[in-house]
Amino acid sequence: MNWYLQSGKDSDVIISSRVRLSRNIEGIPFVGKCKEEELKTVYSKLKSIVSSLGYGLKFIDLKDLDDINKEVLVEKHLISPEFAKSKNPYSAIILNDEENICIVINEEDHIKLQVFCSGIELENLMNLAIEIDQKLENLIPYSFSKKYGYLTACPTNVGTGLKISVMCHLPALTVTGNIRKVLNAVNNLGMSVKGVYGEGSKAEGDIYQISNNQTLGVTEKEITKNLKLISQKIIEQERLARKYLGKKGLDLEDRIYRDFGLVSNARKISEEETRELLSSVKLGTDLGIIKELNDSKVAKLMLETKPACIQKRLGKRLSVYEQDIERANIIKEIIKEDE
Amino acid sequence: MLCQNCGKNEANIRYTQIINGVKKEIALCSHCAKKLGVEDIELPINFNSFLGDFFNDYAETEFLPMLQTNEVKCKTCGMTYNDFINTGVFGCSDCYETFSNPIDSLLKNLHGTAKHIGRGPNGKAEKIKIEDSKIEKKENPEEDKKEKLEKELEKAIKEERYEDAAKIRDEIKEMNK
Repeated sequence: MNWYLQSGKDSDVIISSRVRLSRNIEGIPFVGKCKEEELKTVYSKLKSIVSSLGYGLKFIDLKDLDDINKEVLVEKHLISPEFAKSKNPYSAIILNDEENICIVINEEDHIKLQVFCSGIELENLMNLAIEIDQKLENLIPYSFSKKYGYLTACPTNVGTGLKISVMCHLPALTVTGNIRKVLNAVNNLGMSVKGVYGEGSKAEGDIYQISNNQTLGVTEKEITKNLKLISQKIIEQERLARKYLGKKGLDLEDRIYRDFGLVSNARKISEEETRELLSSVKLGTDLGIIKELNDSKVAKLMLETKPACIQKRLGKRLSVYEQDIERANIIKEIIKEDE
Repeated sequence: MLCQNCGKNEANIRYTQIINGVKKEIALCSHCAKKLGVEDIELPINFNSFLGDFFNDYAETEFLPMLQTNEVKCKTCGMTYNDFINTGVFGCSDCYETFSNPIDSLLKNLHGTAKHIGRGPNGKAEKIKIEDSKIEKKENPEEDKKEKLEKELEKAIKEERYEDAAKIRDEIKEMNK
């Protein structure tokens, strides 16, 4: 089963976690300065070692994917939207069936190693990333300086090359008006926070991503520890806010069931509206108010209602209007599905 | 709401334009939006050069010893410090050596230090293990109170203080509500 449909530790608040390591190959300029031949060298080198890495990893040439499939990868947060549009003929990814390991080749750096899990288990994730990284560095000489650590194209990633991000679902902190306070505190601790969807200050679906800024002058363990501690604090605060909401009698239950009713009965529904309503539905499921659904179904609803996923399911390009109709159908199907 | 351009399709894109403080809002369908070129609006800022400008601003302040780096070229990839300011990314690993002077101040601004202390290639792999903080072990004060009451109830029954026991029982009932 794909990792994002599994239920993980503390996944009532932390939807998923990601560990990313940026690496470059010694003796080859960074991607921006690479000649086509050099890009090809990077591409071929990684292609040749995939089988010795294990983990069921497969090499996928980006050229071999059509636009819909690339967009699906973006919607699963496996690759960036910019990379999906990349014109570089030697863009590729290395991916396993579970899709919890995804190595991006020739983006900003030669190698972007990412591992994912649902919920939060940062130590396991970090240890897996380091394990794969060590296999890679036995096969490929990395660009490394004693003083600056792992060298990256952008100086914001140099040193450990490590970025850890956690995606949090914070509906109760939002509704109770405490979200700014919490996010400001997180900011002050040297982490960056952004809404995953939507623009400006409004985070659509109440989903936020928190990640470390500092990559140099800290150890991998320290970064992991900081993210873990901050996540624990956020989980604690969000659960407190949920408890408070739960005490206000029927109000919360009423709102959740109204939203659930809307999302499950609509005949056509937009992506934005779905996201807003599913935030309520996830909260209701996590609190045990909605008994018709479970963790994995909610995760499936959140993913399968995204535009490219709908089009992939239907096997063709659809207009936004057609997508809205299909989205409503898919939601009904998933809710009805047997376990 | 129907698209304000063609008046036929359902509008699903709201386009806001602000020119000289005058705000105009128009609702469009995705078809018209595409035709009018307002779909997928890309910001005119190139984020790499945005970053570069930021670095440049730092370099210009007096507390950083700005060197005559503009003339220096990286021997390996031909990049100048100016190129870096423009793009926000370095050309190759050797750039770090070539421009190590301005880079040190830059990294101190970005990360608070310019020295790597994490792991390196072929280093021993230490498993990362972090003890759980005490937060999780903190118990729910309400549960505590209930437990205490239940013990009291038991004691009261044992000592045949039935009036007290009834009171405690009601209190527990109230909590369970």
